Amino acid sequence: MFNKPLLTLCIALSLASPAWAGDAPAPAPSCSLVPGWSQSGPARGYEAANLFEYMDGNAEGYLIYGFHSMNGVTCRQGEISFVIDLSDMGDTDGSYGIFSANRDPALPTDRIGMAGQVAPRRAMFVKGRWYVEIAANPEGDHSAALRAWLAALDQIIAGSTVLPEALAWFPTEGRQSLRLVPESVLGIRLLKRGYVAQYDFGKAFVTFEASPESAAGVMQKLRARFGQVTAANLADDAFQATDQYLGRLFVFRKGRLIGGYSIKAEGHDTAALAAALAAQVR
Amino acid sequence: MNRNASRRSFLAAAGLALPAAASAARSSDPPPAPPHAAVSATPALEYRILGKTGLKVTTVGFGCMITSDGSVIERAADMGITYFDTARVYQHGNNERMVGAALKSRRKNIVLSSKTPGQNRADALASLDTSLKELGTDYLDIWYLHGKEKPEDITDELIDAQQTAKQAGKIRFAGVSTHKGQAQLIPFLAAHPKIDVILSAYNFTLEPIVTTVLEQAAKAGKGTVAMKVMAGGFRRMTPTDPNYQKLKQDGGMLSALKWVIRNRGVHTTIPSMTDIDQLEENIKAMAAPFGKDDEKRLAAQLEYIGPLYCRMCGACQGQCRQGLPVEDMLRFVTYAEGYGQFALGREHFLSLAPGHVAASCGDCVSCTVECPHGVKVPERLLRAQELFRC
Repeated sequence: MFNKPLLTLCIALSLASPAWAGDAPAPAPSCSLVPGWSQSGPARGYEAANLFEYMDGNAEGYLIYGFHSMNGVTCRQGEISFVIDLSDMGDTDGSYGIFSANRDPALPTDRIGMAGQVAPRRAMFVKGRWYVEIAANPEGDHSAALRAWLAALDQIIAGSTVLPEALAWFPTEGRQSLRLVPESVLGIRLLKRGYVAQYDFGKAFVTFEASPESAAGVMQKLRARFGQVTAANLADDAFQATDQYLGRLFVFRKGRLIGGYSIKAEGHDTAALAAALAAQVR
Repeated sequence: MNRNASRRSFLAAAGLALPAAASAARSSDPPPAPPHAAVSATPALEYRILGKTGLKVTTVGFGCMITSDGSVIERAADMGITYFDTARVYQHGNNERMVGAALKSRRKNIVLSSKTPGQNRADALASLDTSLKELGTDYLDIWYLHGKEKPEDITDELIDAQQTAKQAGKIRFAGVSTHKGQAQLIPFLAAHPKIDVILSAYNFTLEPIVTTVLEQAAKAGKGTVAMKVMAGGFRRMTPTDPNYQKLKQDGGMLSALKWVIRNRGVHTTIPSMTDIDQLEENIKAMAAPFGKDDEKRLAAQLEYIGPLYCRMCGACQGQCRQGLPVEDMLRFVTYAEGYGQFALGREHFLSLAPGHVAASCGDCVSCTVECPHGVKVPERLLRAQELFRC
């Protein structure tokens, strides 16, 4: 028998769930996706509230990129086991962000989903807001099987395969890495979230504000933070400053975006580099 | 949901994915630190000796796990923080790389630790070599066995791996890190002759027994390091939670750090820091003692979480005369009411054994479950049954 007021409350609370919770059901990895594999142990499910129970302190590294939930399963084939976890990171910036933090910059990336990487004992890829990781045991080169799994998982995940637009803004020459920094870009809390490209001579960055007005407010606070700044003529607003740890800084605002360069090495024209970056950002 | 799923195996595999590299020859004379200008307005620093290791550390150290910009780490070292902690598995090894680059010129002035996810001797030693390579150093001051929960996890072969690494000059001291099970594990480690340092989750929300065992370990000569010093009370809150922001703004985080430091049984702490503001705030904990205002902030937080939030201590296990999985049910109701995830809470509730789903707390005249942290268990269980059984 249903209690009517209780049923109403249940429905109301269900409707009050965040928008992302009402999207298409989260894909769940299954060991039957690749022939010859069988499930070992029960399937796993975690949310932001209990991810600590699965991975202890390492959970912070997921939460910081906007982790929402995870479905996982362990599959076995003989003595080989693959631990497969599929995480909903909320949006493509979040999923690409954790991928860029966790991938090995010394290894090439593959075009699986939005982007992927396969190493002898681990593989990962992102597609839309989904981030997939597979770890293989025991020691050995499991690359071929990992690739087969990534291809199979790619089939069950609906999501964008287009890389975040911002990735195309940064010059590629001499670039060592390009990643999403989920908070405190350049170690400055005012610069909340954005992309940072590391070069051998310094860093380029672009951060996002909600509106041109809030970006203008951040520029004002940055000026106050760095103290002695020199006004510059670029985009909507710009200044130059120096910092003991960040080196020579050139910061500009273009609409709701704040970008620039932090350069410690000598012989690089921060203004020219920033101008080239500003021309790219949209 | 399987809480015993092998995430640690996953991390182990991930961490070992990078090719093991032979460690570089240990240089007898590391390059001197560059003459960085003194950082202005550095508050007073407080030092303690890390047990019998003799290492002198600031009571506020630096947990590098989620730091993304090396400039914050560089600045912390120049401000006088002496202890920096990372792990092989953080950011799949990228964290060690960043930490190594940031501290390269300051290596001889700081205490550096990392951790191995290895579950056997060979894997552990291979991961150590990779850590040394990524960190750009030829030795670690402390090398921890990562995330152990019970004495049986401290196997002879892992201890042997640490001793081998010590003899080879790759590590100076052997440690163990732990997030749970401290009441049993820390006394075991305190009595273990080959363990020098214990790194434990420790904060104001944990049971008093954790304070007791840490103090006993310190008295036994072990170095004691606290992590998750702020996480306990905030652990179930995401940064988007309004209360999280409130506590952050009100100085609750700093109070939580000061609470840990006031315990003399803790030699240093490793709060995570992502920016300069956080660094400058945390470093103040060394200059200002824990006071009445701090006590009020933490009491308010405990009051907030006390009657509502289960801390998963396990004390209620087996107490319910109907055999209900109390911890799980409390967590499910938290999903609904704490996070607005009603559907999720209900889904988990309905996946319990049919007898547990059908059970009613109203059938009992009195409740046999008593929470040591003051969670109003009968009310919360009834709430779960009201919410989800429809």
